[in-house]
Amino acid sequence: MNLLKAARLTFVLTVIPMMGLAAEVDQAADRAPEVSDLDLPFVYTDWEQFTVEDGLPNDHVFAVEVDGPRVWIGTEDGLARLDKRTGEIRSWKEEDGLPWRVVSALAVHPDTGEVWLGMFGGGLARFSGGRFDHFHQLNSGLVNDVVYGVCVENENIWAATTAGASRYNTRTGEWTIYTEKNAPMEEIWNYGCSYADGKVYLGVWGSGVLEFDIETENWKDYLDPDGEMEIDLYRDDGIVHVITTGVSYVDKTLWVTTYFGASRYDGRHWRGYFKKDSGAPSDFHNAVQARSANEAWFSTDKGLAQVADFPTDTWVVYTTDHASNTGQAIITRGERVLETRTIPPNIPHNYVLWTEIDGDDLWVGTSKGLANAKGGGFFPGLRRASDQATTVEPEEQPTNRGGS
Amino acid sequence: MRNSRSRPVVLTGLATLLAAAWGVSSTAQPREPVYVGVRVCSECHSGPEAGHQFSTWRLTPHAKAFATLSMEESTEIARLSGIPEAPHTARVCLGCHATAADAEEWERDETFLIEDGIQCETCHGPGSEYMDEEVMRNRELAMERGLKMPSGSTCMVCHGPKGSHEAVLSGEPYDLEKALQTIAHPRPESPPVEASTRSSETQALLGSSQHRFTGVMSCTKCHSGPEMGFQFSKWRMGPHARAFAVLGTPTAREMAKRSGVDGDPQASYACLRCHATGAGHDAASFEVGFDLRDGVQCESCHGAGADYSPEAVMLDPPAATAAGLKKPGPEMCTECHEQGHAGAPFHYQAAVAKIAHPKSPVAVGAAEPVYKTPINLALTPDGSELWVACEASSSTVVVDTATHEVLTEIEVGGQPHDVSFQPDGRRAYVTNRLDDTLSVIDVETHGVVATVEVGDEPHGVLLDAPGELIYVLNSAQDSVSVIDAETLQETKRLTTSRVPWSLSLSPDGEKIFVTNTLSDFVPPRTPPMSEVTVIDAERGAIEDRFIVPGANLLQGVAWHPSGEFAIVTLNRTKNLVPMTRLLQGWTITNGIGIVWRDGRVDQVLLDQPDIAFPDAADITMTSDGRLALVTSSGSDRVAIVNLEKLLSMLGEASPEERERIIPNHLAKSTEFVEAFVKTGLSPRGITLSSDDKTAYVANTLDDTVTVIDLERLEAVQEIDLGGPDLISQTRWGEQLFHSADITFRRQFSCHSCHPDGHVDGITYDIEPDGIGTDPVDNRTLRGIFDTAPFKWSGLNPSLQRQCGPRLAVFFTRIEPFTPTELEALELYITTIPRPPNRHRALGAPLTEAQRLGKAVYERTHTNGGRLIPPNGRCINCHPGPLFTDRQQHNVGTQSPLDREDTFDTPHLTNIYDSAPYLHDGTAFSLEEIWTRFNTYDQHGVTNDLTKDQLNHLIEYLKTL
Repeated sequence: MNLLKAARLTFVLTVIPMMGLAAEVDQAADRAPEVSDLDLPFVYTDWEQFTVEDGLPNDHVFAVEVDGPRVWIGTEDGLARLDKRTGEIRSWKEEDGLPWRVVSALAVHPDTGEVWLGMFGGGLARFSGGRFDHFHQLNSGLVNDVVYGVCVENENIWAATTAGASRYNTRTGEWTIYTEKNAPMEEIWNYGCSYADGKVYLGVWGSGVLEFDIETENWKDYLDPDGEMEIDLYRDDGIVHVITTGVSYVDKTLWVTTYFGASRYDGRHWRGYFKKDSGAPSDFHNAVQARSANEAWFSTDKGLAQVADFPTDTWVVYTTDHASNTGQAIITRGERVLETRTIPPNIPHNYVLWTEIDGDDLWVGTSKGLANAKGGGFFPGLRRASDQATTVEPEEQPTNRGGS
Repeated sequence: MRNSRSRPVVLTGLATLLAAAWGVSSTAQPREPVYVGVRVCSECHSGPEAGHQFSTWRLTPHAKAFATLSMEESTEIARLSGIPEAPHTARVCLGCHATAADAEEWERDETFLIEDGIQCETCHGPGSEYMDEEVMRNRELAMERGLKMPSGSTCMVCHGPKGSHEAVLSGEPYDLEKALQTIAHPRPESPPVEASTRSSETQALLGSSQHRFTGVMSCTKCHSGPEMGFQFSKWRMGPHARAFAVLGTPTAREMAKRSGVDGDPQASYACLRCHATGAGHDAASFEVGFDLRDGVQCESCHGAGADYSPEAVMLDPPAATAAGLKKPGPEMCTECHEQGHAGAPFHYQAAVAKIAHPKSPVAVGAAEPVYKTPINLALTPDGSELWVACEASSSTVVVDTATHEVLTEIEVGGQPHDVSFQPDGRRAYVTNRLDDTLSVIDVETHGVVATVEVGDEPHGVLLDAPGELIYVLNSAQDSVSVIDAETLQETKRLTTSRVPWSLSLSPDGEKIFVTNTLSDFVPPRTPPMSEVTVIDAERGAIEDRFIVPGANLLQGVAWHPSGEFAIVTLNRTKNLVPMTRLLQGWTITNGIGIVWRDGRVDQVLLDQPDIAFPDAADITMTSDGRLALVTSSGSDRVAIVNLEKLLSMLGEASPEERERIIPNHLAKSTEFVEAFVKTGLSPRGITLSSDDKTAYVANTLDDTVTVIDLERLEAVQEIDLGGPDLISQTRWGEQLFHSADITFRRQFSCHSCHPDGHVDGITYDIEPDGIGTDPVDNRTLRGIFDTAPFKWSGLNPSLQRQCGPRLAVFFTRIEPFTPTELEALELYITTIPRPPNRHRALGAPLTEAQRLGKAVYERTHTNGGRLIPPNGRCINCHPGPLFTDRQQHNVGTQSPLDREDTFDTPHLTNIYDSAPYLHDGTAFSLEEIWTRFNTYDQHGVTNDLTKDQLNHLIEYLKTL
């Protein structure tokens, strides 16, 4: 054994376990509060489904974006707008001026109300006052027409595409491309995009999460310390995998989804989530939207999953059984199922593609339509059992408490 | 590489001195290549062994090209070219009068001096990478490193015929062959051998100077520019500056020989003592940077200046004198000139007059009278004052509505366009389209209290009903700036259609209608489709976009008091059939559009069979909703439209008639136009008093406001806004440009297709060669003077040809302009200025993307290393400063509708603001030029470019 190998072995045997120990010590300081099994999160029980029969242009719902009373819906064959006040759905297909049939991503500029559409194979479009302005790789500086994600950053529009990220300055008309040439992208297949607190987060297939600081224009990468292995060698040491599908940054907390699990990062600690040791119904995540540092919604291939209360690792997973026309909400804490509650049908299909948080409500895009969960009486985190004694449940629901 | 650059071994004392001077400047630069300047080149390219190449250059006009920009003639040429800056600072002028004028700071070595004019590197390329002797001795290697060997076409980039220069300068037309002989600088194959003896003869005869010489280039740091009377430039154009260089000529050598000087006169003290400042002193007598080859410099007369040249000393005459500053006297001149070679007696006074260089400031601005050019106007909410935005005088004139006297004139930003008031009347807002700003004015004090940055070329401005939000239309950016009226902060920017012009708030305060001058992009062979953008004033967001089919140049807009509709002014341009259909009244028709609240649109013409209503510009309505008043800037009239009759006519028509017949009906207006009221010249903005009794019209081109009595339906007064009485030739040309008098039945003016000298964004079928044949995109007139020939075919050699016979044959169909009118028109067109570039301010460094794009623009090799033939390089056909070689090329864009396959090379100045592109307007964006229309690399070799490289190229193009 040469000296170099010996040094490496020493590092592996001593330093890395120490790092793990240090992490445990750190996390001990943030240890979960004591809760009882009766301290439960809010469960959505009031659901409404929308499909082509209700006016959607297509049932494959890839993206949902709420803008006040308007809910914008991107589908495999058209764009739709649902008016929450009237329930009316209006849709646009290619024959109505939509530049491309597959609307894979949506973002609304908070100032102008302009809707930005990412189109799978069709580039980017701005929908404003009924007019679609089409930006694609032939008529603009967009790097590629396969757009998976769109987000708004100040006066700029970011597009996550299969060949890098594009940033479009709506005032100057300048397009900037980010690829392996000028960003730490080992792969250039960008999936997701999120902007908050002066930073843009890109979820990149094969390159983890990239953080772009708007002020300094510096990049920071979040990679899986275990490399490209599909197991998590040392848990909670970083994102669980570099095949990243979604990012959401809220309350200075980054939530990340991959096809091999999900992660949460609060700037100090990482937390990994897998089906085997959490309430997650699957390790295959399509997207994530966070409501706060303690709550995030995961769009998985086996239902809609919620980290309802991060400190206690409490989850709720929503599924629908179409055969029995019933829904389930499974509440877990750690690896234990606290309760399996039978509720009305919720999501129209358990293959969930997108979740949009709308105040206390939710909008969920699935492969068989759109769902709207109404959050009357919603409360964040857990409600203490002692408090529940004085609270009237909105509706009596059959439950199956306990479980393994 | 630049770090390893080694300067050639110098043989002479002079060169050693220079090497010392520049040796300190050879610190590594982060990028390359850079321009090193003629003085570095001269280290090897001077002296008899190099055929006196440096001196040869110094005797050519190239060496004083920069200096000539100080001449009055240059100012006049700039004026004729529509260049608003002084020539010695203008990018276009410097582009042909100085090497590397457009380069960034890092691209110029410390040794480079722009004052040296057109230097070696203009033709041979920036020299840092090929200047080493061992590289230069290997031509192939040198060319790999950037050495260029120019051809005649290189010269023609600047020396092609230029109307502006021909109009001012006398002299023979440029003859390339003669010019090449003039600047010929061959290197002798067998150099003379006496050179090595000269240094001992020239140095140290006089020992050390009491004060050190600093050199003319040091003096010029303060003694240049108009504020110092262009002292440096005057010297540089005089014989003193050439005194050393002339010693390199065969004549000098012959004269020297006759005087007993054997060998190179430039090495002889006997010659140098009168031909070069500081000759005979030892090396310790010179500051770094002093160059003896600058000939007879300031310090020959004023004394060696190192000790008095600091500004603090110069401003203290006794101290300066003590530090060596001399007062020149006759003896200084006679010492050399009485023994001169001319044989003629020396007249001191005449000679002094010849080289006079007073430091009194020189005016370099335009001599043109400053007109007012009122564009738009508005009444204060209490009706007591009329505020008029005057474009040419950069001011807002305030008129007392009781007396019709001018109360005051408020200086605002450049080219004010529109004015609007806060509902409470406390503040006024004026858009300044040159400066991209909004002036905020206190109405009571008439003082500007704030200036707010907005988008590019702001036009219309409006307050919402509560007076909380200010809406400003950014006409060159296709957007609306929404500004908080209290904080004056821009809160958002909304997207309009193309070139938003004017806006109007509905009576209920809910909606704002915005007119867009240019049509949306439409496919080939499709009529224009223009947009009225609808803003939800409550949300401050775009609510809808109403299409006005077949119309363009939507400008004025006003809501009917009922709130049921608004009316916009418009043109209906029949661009898809040959323009020669004018005789059938079927080229450009003019009228208004009734835009209903729900998006339906009716269109009616205000033309009549015998006389059209060209260039409908603005509209207002009486508060009872009975009358609409519309200005026609091309015919100097206001149409009084009876809206009850108009609506009645529409109500009786079938849907088919309203959609297809009425919008094109030339006689319908007789049914609802009550009267036409004559105004002053080129009426644009119009407004009404709240009692509906009086209308005010801004007459753009005679600096007046017409007052119309609405009871009598006639003009009752013209208010003089105080413009100059003199109508200059340029102003006359401007009036001709905007008048439809030249066209059959006054259907349109030059302005109709070139609004304000720019573009209408339309592709035209002009010539009667078949429907749709040879479609041509409209090109801007901004800054076109020296880009002849004209037309996409390049067949018209001059503007006079373009605007004279051609205009009459194809467009106007009546007697053409007279020769004197043509002269005036040409003069005006040439002075239509290029707006400041919005993507790169004058002198600003390039952004990283722009810099990378410049490298693509100038590249010689593909990404794969393949040599790009010269005609496949961007810069070859689009060389600066005009960015056109003014030739015709086949760039592979011929369509089945085109008879020819070659097209004139357009200039690229401000290319970002004149979409669509290509001769037929088929490329809606710059990207499409290469992604859709350059399949075979005929329009430059571009197909190897990566997407980011193409983006960079476009970012650079936008800076030109």
